[in-house]
Amino acid sequence: MTLLLMENIEVTAGDFTLRIPRLEVARGEYLIVLGASGVGKTLLLNVIAGLAKPSKGTIMIDGRDSTRLPPEKRGIALVPQDYGLFPHMSVIENISYGLVVRGIPRREAYREAERIAELLGITSVINRKPVSLSGGEKQRVALARALVVKPKLVLLDEPLSSLDPGLRLKGLELLARIKSETHITVIHVTHDILDALYLADKIAYIDKGKLEGVYKPADFLHSPSSKPYLDILNLSRNLLGKIR
Amino acid sequence: MKQPGRIGSFEAVNITLSLILLFFIVAPLAALYLEASPSLAGEMMSNREVLGAIKVSLEASIVSVLILVATGVPLAYILSRTSFKGKNLVEAIVDIPLVMPHAVAGIMILSAFGSKGLLGPGLSRVGLVIEDSFPGIVLVMTFVSIPLLVDTVKVGFEIVGSSLEDVARTLGASRWTAFRTVTLPLAYRHILAGALLGWARGLSEVGALLVVAYYPKTVNILILDYLSVYGLKYAATLSALYSIIVLAIFVALRKVTVE
Repeated sequence: MTLLLMENIEVTAGDFTLRIPRLEVARGEYLIVLGASGVGKTLLLNVIAGLAKPSKGTIMIDGRDSTRLPPEKRGIALVPQDYGLFPHMSVIENISYGLVVRGIPRREAYREAERIAELLGITSVINRKPVSLSGGEKQRVALARALVVKPKLVLLDEPLSSLDPGLRLKGLELLARIKSETHITVIHVTHDILDALYLADKIAYIDKGKLEGVYKPADFLHSPSSKPYLDILNLSRNLLGKIR
Repeated sequence: MKQPGRIGSFEAVNITLSLILLFFIVAPLAALYLEASPSLAGEMMSNREVLGAIKVSLEASIVSVLILVATGVPLAYILSRTSFKGKNLVEAIVDIPLVMPHAVAGIMILSAFGSKGLLGPGLSRVGLVIEDSFPGIVLVMTFVSIPLLVDTVKVGFEIVGSSLEDVARTLGASRWTAFRTVTLPLAYRHILAGALLGWARGLSEVGALLVVAYYPKTVNILILDYLSVYGLKYAATLSALYSIIVLAIFVALRKVTVE
């Protein structure tokens, strides 16, 4: 069943225009949006979240025309690239924020936040401020804050890009676990083919401000768009072989 | 290699130049207190005219700061968050009171809001007369303080950025709630600093007040009166007394804002 349907979208930011002829995301699907830096991946997330207004086209969320709906009415949670944790709030205040602003009593919101913190293994840091957290902890807090409000759709903007290799692998495993345990619908933007192959149900490929196509991972590897990604994977494999 | 704690030529030049600048502030301040007479200050503390002027100055400056915060914070927010045609012009307009000579500012205010000014007849009809009145003093103080508040708060909003507000909104917060719970707590130091600077600027104004509202007398006007009628001793004593009150409030508020 379709959760998100974008048709004939055009959105402009400065001199840059992003065009999305058609993008459909099914409920429970994990869509990876793949593309080089500066092709409009973050702008795509902002349009879906309602933070950027398209000049053309329609966005249907859950069967409802949401093109002009404000972000707070869309039921979509965004995790930005820098995680966007509120620095003046503790971890538990951050996680429970979305519940508190919905009018849920603070005690109840904290209980729910503690439950999700336990699920993501960050119970020990709930009273700390974001400034004292490691990159991996920040990522988990941001995910917890997004998941606790039970959104229809979670938008992840390069969630693993600022992590070192060890944490990155843990981050990938965590996202895979969230995917399998919650079956939540996710749109995850990345420029890394590894994220895409590890997590994606489908891959949407963006190039030069235009959505070029949506593929199953295996189909993407056979498409011409995958060439630079396959080249880098082959290079890695050859280098490893040579060094060993 | 430079020894820890040893002052090199770079530091020596910096410190010397800084001390010269600080001397320009400290020397007149010290001279003011040396010129002032403690016994005269004691008398002034019970002088109704002096107490009345202090009251008018403080009350008008507080009302002016409240008006400034209520109107300047939204303007600073708009200037920090949006880009629109003519934004540079709006920013230049905000800074006009900073570059305008004080007497000219007074004449501008009088020409616009005075009873014979552009908007004066309309204001008179609703009972607002600015010549020689408390509202006139508030208007002058507000006018001269605008750039200090708006520019300081704008920098605060720019530092906070819009991305955290965006995240808050995707988590279900309305624009008001996102502003109240995220942006405001993160920018409040700049708002307090801007209000403090605006308050101090309003309190120090005299040139425009001479043109617009000589009465009811603020302390600054009274100091000028004392200088011309009784001489330097009286003016210096009242100045010293007033500066102690203002500095005490300023230091206390700065301490609160820093903490």
